[in-house]
Amino acid sequence: MNQHLEQIPFERWDERYRTLAGGGMVEPAYGGPMRRHVDNGDTRLTSLKFDASASSLRLWNFLLTEEERLRAARESGRKIVGTMKDLGTVPVMAYSSPRLTAFYPDGAWWIPCVMELDAGLLEIADSLGVDESFCPVRAMLGAFATEAHFPIPDLLICSVGAVCDDFSAIAQRVNGLGHPVVWWEIPHRRAPGQGEEIVRLPGGMTAPRSQVGFVELELQRVREALDEVGGHRLSDSDLVDGIGVANEVRKELRELRHLTFTADVCPLPSLELLIAEMLAIHFCSDREETLAVLRDLVEEVRGRVESGAGFFRADAVRVFWVNPVADLRVMNLLEERGGRICGTEYLFSHAIDEIPMDIPPMEALARVALADPMVGSIADRAERICRDAREFGSEAVLVSRIPGASHCAVEGHLVGNTVRKQLGIPVVEIEVPPVSDPMRPTLSTRLDALIETARATRATGNGGD
Amino acid sequence: MIYAGIDAGSRAIKAVLWDGAAGRIAGSGVADQGVQQGELAAGLFENVLSKAGVARSDVGRVVATGYGREGVSVADTTITEITCHARGVRHCAGDVRTVIDIGGQDSKLIRLDEDGKVRDFMMNDRCAAGTGRFLEVVADRLDIALAELGDVASEAANASAISSMCVVFAETEIVGLLAAGEGAANIVAGVQNSIALRIKAMAGRSLEEPVVFTGGVAMLPGMRVAIETAIERPVKVAENPQLTGALGAALLAASDG
Repeated sequence: MNQHLEQIPFERWDERYRTLAGGGMVEPAYGGPMRRHVDNGDTRLTSLKFDASASSLRLWNFLLTEEERLRAARESGRKIVGTMKDLGTVPVMAYSSPRLTAFYPDGAWWIPCVMELDAGLLEIADSLGVDESFCPVRAMLGAFATEAHFPIPDLLICSVGAVCDDFSAIAQRVNGLGHPVVWWEIPHRRAPGQGEEIVRLPGGMTAPRSQVGFVELELQRVREALDEVGGHRLSDSDLVDGIGVANEVRKELRELRHLTFTADVCPLPSLELLIAEMLAIHFCSDREETLAVLRDLVEEVRGRVESGAGFFRADAVRVFWVNPVADLRVMNLLEERGGRICGTEYLFSHAIDEIPMDIPPMEALARVALADPMVGSIADRAERICRDAREFGSEAVLVSRIPGASHCAVEGHLVGNTVRKQLGIPVVEIEVPPVSDPMRPTLSTRLDALIETARATRATGNGGD
Repeated sequence: MIYAGIDAGSRAIKAVLWDGAAGRIAGSGVADQGVQQGELAAGLFENVLSKAGVARSDVGRVVATGYGREGVSVADTTITEITCHARGVRHCAGDVRTVIDIGGQDSKLIRLDEDGKVRDFMMNDRCAAGTGRFLEVVADRLDIALAELGDVASEAANASAISSMCVVFAETEIVGLLAAGEGAANIVAGVQNSIALRIKAMAGRSLEEPVVFTGGVAMLPGMRVAIETAIERPVKVAENPQLTGALGAALLAASDG
């Protein structure tokens, strides 16, 4: 008989922690009860519902102790590299160096959510001329200004060109505050023209050889900057080793996604899966521990799948989620309204794809960078969403807009049209601010309507190709 | 057996009683929405029951819909207005394939299959520019009663061009038009066209007929023609368009009860 698993609210974590600890749970150095994060200001946790496993506790603790980890890295003499806008390429290079710890300052965009606006980062960004017409990632600007959330990096690297306009402007403002930035350019990915050599990219896309060569040269400049700050000349061999470990992380994530999306009963809630997927971007400042955390979680989820244990109603609607949310609470909301996660495209699917190992490492990294969903046409992204939704059996697609984000202006409409045409399943757009509580009725209505329509489609068998 | 549907919208609450045996509406009512939403819905429900001479114990099942549906304590269950409007319109216009619903807070375009099931839907939520709220703002700015907007618009000789995608900015445009001496009729007609164009943008190129227009804004004369012109297809206004969602809820209560 299948075992029904229940998420727990925050107030049950103390009791659950005692049970886990009493049962012999072995925790890493950053382990401990969830409550301390709330005591440190992460008050949004009190509104969330959690997977109550030791593996998920470890995942949360790993995520929420990153600032401590960065400070410890600095104290130990490691150099800290902030890799901005780049979602999963430069961190692979940085962690190939023995003396570098890379992190993702853009991740500060969740601080207004987890601290329920108490940190005041958005107001600081406002005062610096970056107002709410920008993406909430402007919180990063506030974090640089206050220096209260992460140590100021020894080196800042930021991609520009065919990436998010908002972010480029915000990063320029960070630069203007006196933080030097190594900029590297990523061109808009285009289809190879007649007579151009075609290069296959991870994720099934293509680009002309000239673009791959250009990005490789840009990444070479990044490599030199990493060499200089780390005091270690990155060899090709170092990079191959680094790519190998990154691929291990990506393999675990692909396995976790596959298990979660294809199981008859949902074995992992969407919130924990979102957190796990985010580790792919920069390894949460500890690559080896990321691998350990993910392996632990995959083992937990595999065990659940094998025993038929899972969450939510057996007839929960399988929803493909596009774009990350600024308010984590909304991930819970999907499940409360009768859905379950079944496919995701959080703008960094290229960070989950395998990096080629049969070509020189710099070219492999250039190919990965060009496979970034944000640097090509939305049509490419929509194609991938359709392909993955088809593979995972998604019954509906939810496009979550980020308020102010320039890439969100039209993508939902275009993704929706492609999904409707190719898959014939319902699509809804929602917009999620960092604290979405006043929007709850509106968000619930949209989610309910999506679930109802998907159920109606399921009943009549009209969905699919 | 009597079944009830309550549509707790952003501007008004609507209630419909459906006589399952007779296959007809046994009573209906509308009340303004307010702060105490649950109490207002319960009060309207009691009022409609009383006027129809129906005892609460004769009501088999109550379905609530609309943005305030979670607060309707007298309801047995909730269903979204997408499904309820589709069901209500389907009852009145059996062959409908597209429903346009413009309410106070948002606008929706609902596609139905040949069996009347919701196949897909789109909602405008980015701004009030495509909703009844836009008309309220204009009515307030022009000092015209909301119900009279349609009559005023019918006198327009040359509808003003309202280009803003945002009600706040559009209001600035209206101030500018008034300052330039533009008449209220042309401005109101321009706003109606602006709303209709938002519907057209939401609909895209594929829009199956028959098209039925519902929701509170459908009661305003002139909106139907504005939408017809924008989408270049005939549009029929649903019977009692403000009650369609509540009727659909009552019918769904009957079919599940």
